[in-house]
Amino acid sequence: MSFFGFGQSAEVDIILDGQDSRKTAEIKTEDGKKERYYLYFDGETVSGKVNVTLKKPGSKLEHQGIKIEFIGQIELYYDRGNHHEFTSLVKELARPGELVQNTSYNFEFQQVEKPYESYTGANVRLRYFLRVTIVKRLSDVVKEQDIIVHTLSHYPEMNNSIKMEVGIEDCLHIEFEYNKSKYHLKDVIVGKIYFLLVRIKIRYMELAIVRREITGAGPNTFNENETIAKYEIMDGAPVRGESIPIRLFLSGYELTPTMRDINKKFSVRYYLNLVLVDEEERRYFKQQEITIFRRSDKNRKTYQATAHHPTRERKPDPEPEPEENSVDTEK
Amino acid sequence: MYLNNVLDMSISDELRHLEMYLVDEFQKGRKVADLYELVQYAGNIVPRLYLLITVGVVYIKSNELSRRDILKDLVEMCRGVQHPLRGLFLRNYLLQCTKNVLPDNTEEASGGENESGNVQDSVDFIQLNFAEMNKLWVRMQHQGHSRDRERREQERRELRILVGTNLVRLSQLECIDMERFKKNVLPGVLEQVVNCKDPISQEYLMECIIQVFPDDFHLQSLNSFLRACADLHPNVNVKNIIIALIDRLANFSQNEEGSGIPSDIQLFDIFSQQIAQVIQNRPDMSPEDIVSLQVALMNLALKCYPEKVDYVDKVLETTEDIFNRLNLDHLEHGTAVSKELMRLMKIPIDTYNSILSVLELQHFGPMFEYFDFKGRRIMSCYIINNILENETNIPTQEQVDLVLNIVNCLVQDQNDQPEEADDPDDFAEEQGLMGRFIHLLHSDDPNQQFLILNIARKHFGSGGDQRIKYTLPPIVFAAFRLANRYADLKEQDENWKKKCQKIFQFCHQTIGALIKAEQAEIPLRLFLQGAVTAGSIEFENHETVAYEFMSQAFSIYEEEISDSKAQLAAITLIIGTLEQMRCFGEENHEPLRTKCALAASKLLKKPDQCRGVSICSHLFWSGKSSDQDDEMKDGKRVSDCLKKGLKIANQCMDSSVQVQLFVELLNNYIYFYEKGCDQIPIQVLNQIISKIQEHLPNLEANEETDQINKHFKNTVEHLQTMKFAKDCKVSFEGLTIE
Repeated sequence: MSFFGFGQSAEVDIILDGQDSRKTAEIKTEDGKKERYYLYFDGETVSGKVNVTLKKPGSKLEHQGIKIEFIGQIELYYDRGNHHEFTSLVKELARPGELVQNTSYNFEFQQVEKPYESYTGANVRLRYFLRVTIVKRLSDVVKEQDIIVHTLSHYPEMNNSIKMEVGIEDCLHIEFEYNKSKYHLKDVIVGKIYFLLVRIKIRYMELAIVRREITGAGPNTFNENETIAKYEIMDGAPVRGESIPIRLFLSGYELTPTMRDINKKFSVRYYLNLVLVDEEERRYFKQQEITIFRRSDKNRKTYQATAHHPTRERKPDPEPEPEENSVDTEK
Repeated sequence: MYLNNVLDMSISDELRHLEMYLVDEFQKGRKVADLYELVQYAGNIVPRLYLLITVGVVYIKSNELSRRDILKDLVEMCRGVQHPLRGLFLRNYLLQCTKNVLPDNTEEASGGENESGNVQDSVDFIQLNFAEMNKLWVRMQHQGHSRDRERREQERRELRILVGTNLVRLSQLECIDMERFKKNVLPGVLEQVVNCKDPISQEYLMECIIQVFPDDFHLQSLNSFLRACADLHPNVNVKNIIIALIDRLANFSQNEEGSGIPSDIQLFDIFSQQIAQVIQNRPDMSPEDIVSLQVALMNLALKCYPEKVDYVDKVLETTEDIFNRLNLDHLEHGTAVSKELMRLMKIPIDTYNSILSVLELQHFGPMFEYFDFKGRRIMSCYIINNILENETNIPTQEQVDLVLNIVNCLVQDQNDQPEEADDPDDFAEEQGLMGRFIHLLHSDDPNQQFLILNIARKHFGSGGDQRIKYTLPPIVFAAFRLANRYADLKEQDENWKKKCQKIFQFCHQTIGALIKAEQAEIPLRLFLQGAVTAGSIEFENHETVAYEFMSQAFSIYEEEISDSKAQLAAITLIIGTLEQMRCFGEENHEPLRTKCALAASKLLKKPDQCRGVSICSHLFWSGKSSDQDDEMKDGKRVSDCLKKGLKIANQCMDSSVQVQLFVELLNNYIYFYEKGCDQIPIQVLNQIISKIQEHLPNLEANEETDQINKHFKNTVEHLQTMKFAKDCKVSFEGLTIE
């Protein structure tokens, strides 16, 4: 930390309360690696201890004050300089003075609002972290500690199935049904495809889960589509009257809850794309938006009980708007 | 296709290893349910489903309560593979893997869910799998180019066993009893088969049903099975299916002793009605197929109800009706329908092995009218051969009449017979059969026998000149035999004499018919035989009858026989016959023997004359008239005959023939000398011997000469033996031989 290699310096560690029993979760970094941090939920108190360890025992450390911040921010990759902080809380740990020995400070952010889920996407990142700063004359000592936030949703009261008859005239008519429009992360998509008319030679049919990340606004909107899952559900050509079952377990895929218009900066939406491929490699497809949410599970509840801090649960986002009854073809 | 099989087998093998590994793992405490989910993440459907099946079966093995749901899930999920070949192999794998875990008990769900399932769940499982596999199999037919159709059908045939295995599996469920089969199993299977409307599938699966389920099930569900048959695709060979079922049930009725066909099942009636229905539903059905069905029906009747002649008759009647409806007539020989009809008609012949039983069938004879000439002839020969092989006696006039009407084409000319004449050998063989057949027209009652002969005579009499020479002689002989039978029965039948008289009249007239047909040799011999027979039976006028027969023989000899060799043969026969007969009084015997001597001496060629008169010599020695007590022994006439023979021999120009005649005469002389004829001095023997010895060396050396030489040498050897024999009745004193 010191430019000159002399003068007192210190190491800062942030120890969170209940660290041993707290769950952790993984999140991707920008470069695709995975990192593991402690997991918090909306409304949970974030508290702990900051240990300042002097590197040269015996000599003192002068400082202009020590503070800890709780920050939630959105980083748009194409706008590196600007981080949009949607949450920023500060606690002063020490007034300006001197440190002559290793010192610990307790801190507590009471029932912090954490409205969004941690997220790392193609063009955007949403992160929460604690930052301890020892303000010094030349260069501050700064220590950041990331945490992960998961937003929880109630099981939705309304969860209609998605049912639709689509087709291309005199060529292909199908009726498909997915048992729900809202799925939690460990859910199973169950459904069936019913063939009303088949005049094309189908080679196979697959179901894809597509994630669409929308960043920016107005003319500067960026759309990033990523196929999360490709799942073959039919091999060969069916005839009229066949009904093909669908069962797709979601827990094997890296999904996040659906996010809509997060802090007016970005959205993450999920689509089920039903694709039929014929013998000439023509693709016929129909996309349906589904909502994905994180369900509060039983383990979580026992944890809450011990924490004495009820966490807030939201309703999942509203249902996607209905779409037209047509199959799209890619030429 | 081959590659596919190999691949499938090796995949199956690998998965079995996996299964064994998994079973081990779960015994160690891993959760199968997790794995059942985990394998479903595989993105490609085909490997995913193979894995799912493998894990699913392990799941069932580790936890029987999951059985019903897992089975249902597996068979449903397999719908995802719609590619016919891959789908068939996948579902076949499913069927193989679940083979030992299908629930096979009848426990009903008690209150709550019966999670491990019962046999009905297995039935549902297999039927669904069966239906899906059949659909995939049928679909193969409609994919790809039409020019590959043949290859595709071949491929399909190779795959059929995969579909059929479903039915095998159904049949292996022990808890399927008759009721369940009728109610829950068969209807579903039949519905699938009928609705798929695919001939290859229908043909194979119907056959499969017949083969895999037990016979008593079939017996109880005949109507629904046969109704389904009527609804099959027009291209399906329903005939084969029904025949297979009939054959199976017919064998069943015979194999299982005791059980047989339950009496409450009118097997014949059911089949009869349903077959009629099938025929009605298929106006395009070929007549040969219709007849094939009748063949099967007849087999059924004969095997299951051997005592019911009317069933067999019913089949024939039905066939006749169908033929009338289709306006079929004079089926050309060699056509399929003609062949099938022959097969049908041969069944009762072969089964009963008695024409008498066949004759009880009212509609058997009329069916003959539907064959053309050649067909009728083959069938007639078949019947006659059967009669001959079984030596079936035909004992009444009516039956004879029936048979002869049926085989009419062998008896007389037909309107539709071909213009050109038959191959003479074939004709002779065929008529020879008829000759043999006549000997089987036999009744133990002589009066009936006489009627039989009369009716036979009537039929055969109209057979034309070519046939009667084969058929009338046996009738005449049968009549002679009958006369002898009456003679044996004279104690019991006071009218026997009149009857004998009548028989000989019958014979006379029958032989007369042969003469009219420009036959000579046979009538001559028949007259002679008749004379002998009449002579030996002592009815009134028997001498007159015999004389008449002899005189008829003479007139044939005189008027009809012109060939010199035939003349010699004929006169030899006449002389031989007369020599044996004992019935003639002197007033008849004298002209006859004189006539013989005269005829013999009037033969055209010298050697014939010579031989004729020397044979005549015997008439005067061993001939006998009824007036005398003993044979004639007229040495003077014997000697005269032989002298005349010598005289004629001397006139012969051909020295070889001359020497031969001398040797023959020498033998005659020796015969009578040994018999003690006093008109023959030993010197005559010496003279003839020396004459032979004189001429013999001058003969040209050839085979004929060798023969003569040998004959002479043997004769001389005989004389030497006699000369030195001690107990000889006559003395050979003075015989000069070297």
